[in-house]
Amino acid sequence: MTELSDELLVAYVDGQLARKQSSAVEKVLEHDDVIARRVAALKDAHRRLEAAFEAILAGEEADAAAQPLPRAPGLFIARDALIKGGVAAAGIVVALVLILAGYGWPLAAPEFASDASGPADPEHVGSLKRNWQEEVARAQALLSRASLELGRDSQGNRELIGFHLGQAIGAALTPPDLAPQGLRFARAQLLSFGGEPLAQLLYLGTSGAPVALYAKKGEASAAPQFKRYGGIAGVAWSRDSVAYLLAGERDEASLLLLAEAIRSGQEIGDAAAAPDGSPPAPRPSPARP
Amino acid sequence: MQAEDFYDSIRVGLISMLPRLKRFADLLAGGRSAGAALLGRSLQRMLAEEHRYQRGTALDRWAFAEIYRLWLDELRDHADPIRQPKIDDASFARLFRSENGEAVDAFTIGFLRSLPPQQRLTLLLVCGERFDHIDAGGVLDVTAETVGARLVRIVASLADGLSARAGESATIETLYREETAA
Repeated sequence: MTELSDELLVAYVDGQLARKQSSAVEKVLEHDDVIARRVAALKDAHRRLEAAFEAILAGEEADAAAQPLPRAPGLFIARDALIKGGVAAAGIVVALVLILAGYGWPLAAPEFASDASGPADPEHVGSLKRNWQEEVARAQALLSRASLELGRDSQGNRELIGFHLGQAIGAALTPPDLAPQGLRFARAQLLSFGGEPLAQLLYLGTSGAPVALYAKKGEASAAPQFKRYGGIAGVAWSRDSVAYLLAGERDEASLLLLAEAIRSGQEIGDAAAAPDGSPPAPRPSPARP
Repeated sequence: MQAEDFYDSIRVGLISMLPRLKRFADLLAGGRSAGAALLGRSLQRMLAEEHRYQRGTALDRWAFAEIYRLWLDELRDHADPIRQPKIDDASFARLFRSENGEAVDAFTIGFLRSLPPQQRLTLLLVCGERFDHIDAGGVLDVTAETVGARLVRIVASLADGLSARAGESATIETLYREETAA
């Protein structure tokens, strides 16, 4: 009989082992009935615990769904009133929501009964890991037929790219030259978000992950603001009814400098732009090795 | 994002997580009423101290840690923490209401009730919330190794209990039918 510790087997049941380690355990399971029975018992225990926790959550969600949430904007409840009425059994959920509203801030539509795991907070970076299929499906949703219209041959002509992207989002969008900042323009494509075109311009430095500039129709103008999305940092701004997002795995100072360089270039470009809106002549693409 | 929008987004995020936060507080306090009261106090403290929330931190991890921190503070402030009332069995069992009719077995409920709150939460964070050991340890202010050790001890103990129970209820079966005399 092979000796495998409960530590190893629980880690196996919990999916905490590396693939090679899991395969090694599985090979043992095929030949050792005692270990196989132990793993089955641990799996059963694990499953019962998961079911127990699911049952509690189901009860809480049912309570939440049964209690209509106050949605009036600007709802203000005095703090004392909240404490007095707080935890009556039938109104527990409402009471808790009111506590959150008790300082006089408006409540945005919370939909908190639908998907407890989903982050309604744009700042929120959840601990729950999505699997690769979910991540890929979300990325797939950004693709449209137009994504493939900018062929590889066009990628060497920044003016032609700018014209195509500009036609889609309604404003000139020549890929900014970020060579002085150590970034080479790599390629561009047209994505789709919420049925609206979303331009993506990709840049690559000598090392590290790509930096992307996104542009879509947006607000008239807004100053650059830095925000972190998990491991990805972003600087967002709007200008001439186009919303921009510069994103990459960079620190705040570096990304803000890049954004400033792009914005400065846009101002210079505006001053020199020809107003006829005609497409630039195609030029031969650079020879590929 | 302006500071006010940022804090508004915390509030919206907390609302979206209320059922999960309530489950966490219920299991910590040992019942729905006690859990609601604990969560109410925790939310008030979170809102009063929301400036301590750091951008980029997972909101659920921060909120769970705040609830746990308040519970621990109140335990430490208690004049005689050893004589705190024990969890009421019936209140604890009422936590496990299954809406789809699939009942949670009494053995598992009794097992969870017998665990110290910190160990119940370790299980909840790993098996219920699917946090990794580092995140779960961050919430409970212990190392990932401690989370792993707790998990092994608890799951193995439940598996042993279930196996022993199955052994007790097993009946002896005749493997070969006895030939009846003609």
